Amino acid sequence: MSDFSEELIRPTTEDEQGEPHVPSGTGICLPWLQKHIETIATGGKQEKDFAQTTSACLSLIQEALLKHQWQRAAEYMHSYFQILEDSDSNKRQIAPEIIWRLGSEILYYHPKSNVETFNTFADRMKNIGVMNYLKISLQHALYLLHHGMLEDANRNLSQAETWRYGEKSSSQEVLINLIQAYKGLLQYYIWSKKKMELSQLDEDDYAYNTASQNMLNHSWKTSINLCALIQIPGVWDPFVKSYVEMLEFYGDQDGAREVLTNYAYDEKFPSNPNAHIYLYNFLKREKAPREKLISVLKILYQIVPSHKLMLEFHRLLRKSENEEHHKLGLEVLFGVLDFAGCTKNITAWKYLAKYLRQTLMGSHLAWVQEEWNSRKNWWPSFHFSYFLAKSDWKEDKTLACEKALVAGLLLGRGCRYFRNISKQDHQVLKKKIKQVKKSVKKYSIVNPGL
Amino acid sequence: MDFPSSLPPSLFTTGPLGLSDVPDVSFMCSWRDALTLPESLPQGSENAAPHVAKGLLWEPDTPGPLPLLPPGPDPWDPGVTAQELLFRGGYQFRRQPRAVLDVTEQVSGPTVDSATWPGLCLVTWPPFLLQLSRFLWDHGDIAFAPLGKLMLENFKLEGARSRSKKKTVVSVKRLLQDLGGHQPWGCPWAYLSQRQRRFSILGGPILSTSVASLLGELLHEELALRWEQLLLDEAFTGGALAWVPGRTPRAGQLVYPAGGALDRLYFQKVILTPGGEPRALGGPGHIRLRGPVRQVVTRTVQGEALLAVRSDYHCALWKPPPAWRAGHLQPFRSHLSVDSPGRVTPLPHKNPPPQPTAPAEPGPCPGPQARSPQPPPVSRSPHHGWPVSPRLQQIYKDPETLVFRDPCPWRWADFTAHPRVLTVGDRTGVKMVDTQGPPGCGLLLFRGGAEASCQKGERVLLTQYLGDCGPECLHPTLHLICTQFSLYLLDERLPLVPLLKWDHGLPSAPLLARLLPPPRTGLPRPLLLAGQGGELQVLHIAGEGASAPRLAGPPQSLPSRSDSLSAFPLLEPKSQWRLRERLTAPAIGLAAAIPPAAATPVLSLFQLSAAGDVFHQRLRLQADPGPDSPAPTASWTPQASASCSQWLKALLEVPPAPPVWAAPTFSHRRLLGCFEPQKAEGKAPEGLRTAMAKGRVLQPRDLGLLPTEERAPAPEPGPEDELSERLEAAWEGRAAAWWERRRGSSLGPGKQPKRHKRRTQLSSTFSSLSGRLDLSDAASPPPSPERTLPEARPQPPVTPPSQESTQEPWARGVPSERQQTLRDYMAGLPLRGAAPGGASVPSSQTSSVRAAPSRQRAAVHSGSQPHGKKPRMGF
Repeated sequence: MSDFSEELIRPTTEDEQGEPHVPSGTGICLPWLQKHIETIATGGKQEKDFAQTTSACLSLIQEALLKHQWQRAAEYMHSYFQILEDSDSNKRQIAPEIIWRLGSEILYYHPKSNVETFNTFADRMKNIGVMNYLKISLQHALYLLHHGMLEDANRNLSQAETWRYGEKSSSQEVLINLIQAYKGLLQYYIWSKKKMELSQLDEDDYAYNTASQNMLNHSWKTSINLCALIQIPGVWDPFVKSYVEMLEFYGDQDGAREVLTNYAYDEKFPSNPNAHIYLYNFLKREKAPREKLISVLKILYQIVPSHKLMLEFHRLLRKSENEEHHKLGLEVLFGVLDFAGCTKNITAWKYLAKYLRQTLMGSHLAWVQEEWNSRKNWWPSFHFSYFLAKSDWKEDKTLACEKALVAGLLLGRGCRYFRNISKQDHQVLKKKIKQVKKSVKKYSIVNPGL
Repeated sequence: MDFPSSLPPSLFTTGPLGLSDVPDVSFMCSWRDALTLPESLPQGSENAAPHVAKGLLWEPDTPGPLPLLPPGPDPWDPGVTAQELLFRGGYQFRRQPRAVLDVTEQVSGPTVDSATWPGLCLVTWPPFLLQLSRFLWDHGDIAFAPLGKLMLENFKLEGARSRSKKKTVVSVKRLLQDLGGHQPWGCPWAYLSQRQRRFSILGGPILSTSVASLLGELLHEELALRWEQLLLDEAFTGGALAWVPGRTPRAGQLVYPAGGALDRLYFQKVILTPGGEPRALGGPGHIRLRGPVRQVVTRTVQGEALLAVRSDYHCALWKPPPAWRAGHLQPFRSHLSVDSPGRVTPLPHKNPPPQPTAPAEPGPCPGPQARSPQPPPVSRSPHHGWPVSPRLQQIYKDPETLVFRDPCPWRWADFTAHPRVLTVGDRTGVKMVDTQGPPGCGLLLFRGGAEASCQKGERVLLTQYLGDCGPECLHPTLHLICTQFSLYLLDERLPLVPLLKWDHGLPSAPLLARLLPPPRTGLPRPLLLAGQGGELQVLHIAGEGASAPRLAGPPQSLPSRSDSLSAFPLLEPKSQWRLRERLTAPAIGLAAAIPPAAATPVLSLFQLSAAGDVFHQRLRLQADPGPDSPAPTASWTPQASASCSQWLKALLEVPPAPPVWAAPTFSHRRLLGCFEPQKAEGKAPEGLRTAMAKGRVLQPRDLGLLPTEERAPAPEPGPEDELSERLEAAWEGRAAAWWERRRGSSLGPGKQPKRHKRRTQLSSTFSSLSGRLDLSDAASPPPSPERTLPEARPQPPVTPPSQESTQEPWARGVPSERQQTLRDYMAGLPLRGAAPGGASVPSSQTSSVRAAPSRQRAAVHSGSQPHGKKPRMGF
């Protein structure tokens, strides 16, 4: 914080002479600082009329966009094109990007614009200031894709793919990879459409052969297009998903596994829960051994203990013969119910009630104690308050019964939640409540002797 | 909880912020998010048509928000402005002019070198010295009193041996006796004793250096602080206005601080009509706290509304009992920062790092006269089942910032979806910390760096947990992070990778954000974002369950308070300025309510300004405006205008804030005493006397005069020159009267020359009067023989700043061998004390007000006009 004022007070040194006077450097950069400074500008280098009008025009466009006045924005935009003739080369260079951003937005929302207008605009913009060619092509293709014009989008991407300008920089490379990947995705769409058609055809049909041949071709192209991008660290869910689907379809299970394993476990990638979920689903489809599934979900459990797959994880652990896994199964259930978004998850409560009882019956009191110790100071008010007893009963009686059992087991019969639910008189649930009472009496960890 | 089954593609790069070689894949287009990839098949051609994005326009009822409550009785001081702090100079030697804090780089003898290499110590720069010397004059008590106290014992001053052989020891006690009634509030013109003069000569060099350097440092520090505050005032991060829902969905309470120091917490009951029009029920109840309220947060936890307040150093949490009504403050219970089951925002501390307590205790109830909510000592008896913990729990401690070194002390904390995990944020990033885990560990949720493609100089200004708004629709794991450029949405299950990034483009710091429930089922959730300058934006966040959050439609800007200026009647410039200042006061609070079951969803928006005003705006959702229907422009209804005028009337009745700088007053008792026997006829002396007795600034109207005497070299109004006459009237603050006169009769030009004549008569009266005043002044028994008549004092010539700065402190720059001569000369000259009074008007600060005639100045002594910000206005 103190940096910027120091920057401001600090004597100017030689090397800063050419830089703009809004301090950036190491300190915080405040875009409104310039405005404050301009309020006192009485002399010195004045902005030229040209710069003044263009910057005024820009702010008018932005204002109109924020007020959804597309027509007005379009009119101003018409005048704003003059910035392309700015004598300031810096401004001239960034101008195409601004024009594209604002212009595409206007054309996207303007009630009178159509795909042709957009196409014309995009094609013009691609060639003004070559630096944006790739970005604009990509966005243009996305636009076309969403208007159902797959062919046009594909052509666009193909054109962009082969485009080169100057030395190949790393950012250019990433963009080209991205364009290729989108092209691959597009081909995947076409492929999956064909696949659907194929599934409707009879295998003995003549057409079947040609169609399947077609699909093969596509797959080969796509794999080249997709696999380059997904090596780069990032979140590439749609690409990975479609790539794996195609690999699987053609029986390349090892390739698919490798892609997914790499996507999930490469350390350079962000810890994306979906990567693990995809891998798990793949292994499940592959009918992998339980141990393998458990090991994948164990990692997902570390990242997202609240995921709905955790209940499946619990089931797997419960079925396992390993004692350690049984213990982990309890931990997983407690972990799921820690989260605010899962408090009303009836399956989780059902599992917990059942499994708690089972664990206590199997005299693993220590496991329960271990889990409960870190939660006993906040679960009672988080899950088992009087208010919740009333509202749970009102909203979902089965949930209330399950929770009552857990509350009784963990907190004893004196617990408010349990007392409140067990007092309730309900025809259908009478038996259930009776069972709950019995279980609590027998297994509650608070007074195990009784 | 569902996790989005397919996240939008994004590149993941690690590195510092401002990495330029990374392509920004997240093209900053609002329509980008409308283009989520079709899930499986290109059937998207039908359902991905962009019509989804075209709906959703909040249409305001009026062009701007309206005041909801009458203005508070306390005057409001808008503080310093950039114009007052910045000085721009030396531009001709620069290719790039550079604004400098209160300092000019123009040193005397301007050469290119001295301008581009101003390596001088800041304090010694001439213009700053000018200001400093002015400060020494105006606030002598502050500047010299501590030093004087230190030197209360006799002290010896060396120097000037040749002249003052006899006395180099001055008793400060005697000195103070002499000064009694004068200094430190003394009038510079009053009189000087020999002792004082000797002291001034002997002590001058010492005082001028030590005091000036010390004071200069402090003053500079203060100015820098003010400047930083002006650019970014983080105190009100999060917002100090809260809407506490009542028992019925239409009733609720606004909780906000008001009063001059924002130290009173007001509770105003408000009912929303079915149309969304709010109606204040009765007057607000209030409690007074011991410090300014910085943040007010409300949550409903398990059916119980909780209210949390953050002050500069304290936090408090109240539980209003259900039957609470405005005015019935007794049953308030105050806790310290209770971390109840997961749903109350912990009150983020500034610095030291956040310490939301773990299960906290119910403290003793401070009651309505609650002073600042103090941390209660050890709790006595646990009520209502809260577990007891007698101390604050430290959750996180790290003197360093999270990602890279940035010396900002700002820290922030909020909840996450896990009740025992909190986020801890600073300017560089946000971390998730397990309160039960070992200290120091945690997982970074947001990194100011290439991961979020942050720009150079980008910093976190606000972090907010969005899951509190009900877990039904949106993921309860979303966090909002605002920087000065962009807004990020992050899922705590996928740290570091923003799910959504949007350049908000707000022209001030976005410190307030509110996520609202969807106005109707199926519609996306509005996210309100407000800048410190009062600008408002609403974004729509769609995506629930298994789809990732995305922007639905382009963001929209909502009217800000300054847009309401047109609703108020046109005023004379001074009042107009005041009104404008009030309307453009920084925004410090934002709250919104969506009354249920309206045909078209209505959003009631409340804004709190730093002046303590609550404004209200009603917006209607146009879910699907036809493609050709232009956005209808709202206009002011007569009701709105009427309520505005009413508010304005109340505002103008509030006395304006006393100026920060007050003219030195002097002891007038003695003068009054000698004034008594004189039976001065006329209103003028009477007015002067009352003004003196009350110790307030003498205004021309106290003298019963039209304050027209030589205001400014205004052109002589010709008989028909209506405009200049009107301007002239406005200058005198009599625009309304002029208008009345103008309207009431077509008196025509006949009367105008008369008025003019009267004016000249009056001003001549005043000049003769001032002469008489001087005489009466002189007639008072002089306490010291050296006393001179100010009448005879020659006006110091207006000197250029460079010259003048060497005059005061007078000895600076004079060769030491000549100082003695000078000193002798000065001692002989009784004007020593008086001269700086004239010089104390720095010529660099000439403003229209200070152009008042020096003659009048002499007459009124230093009962001068408050100077400072006002002269800027209007003219």
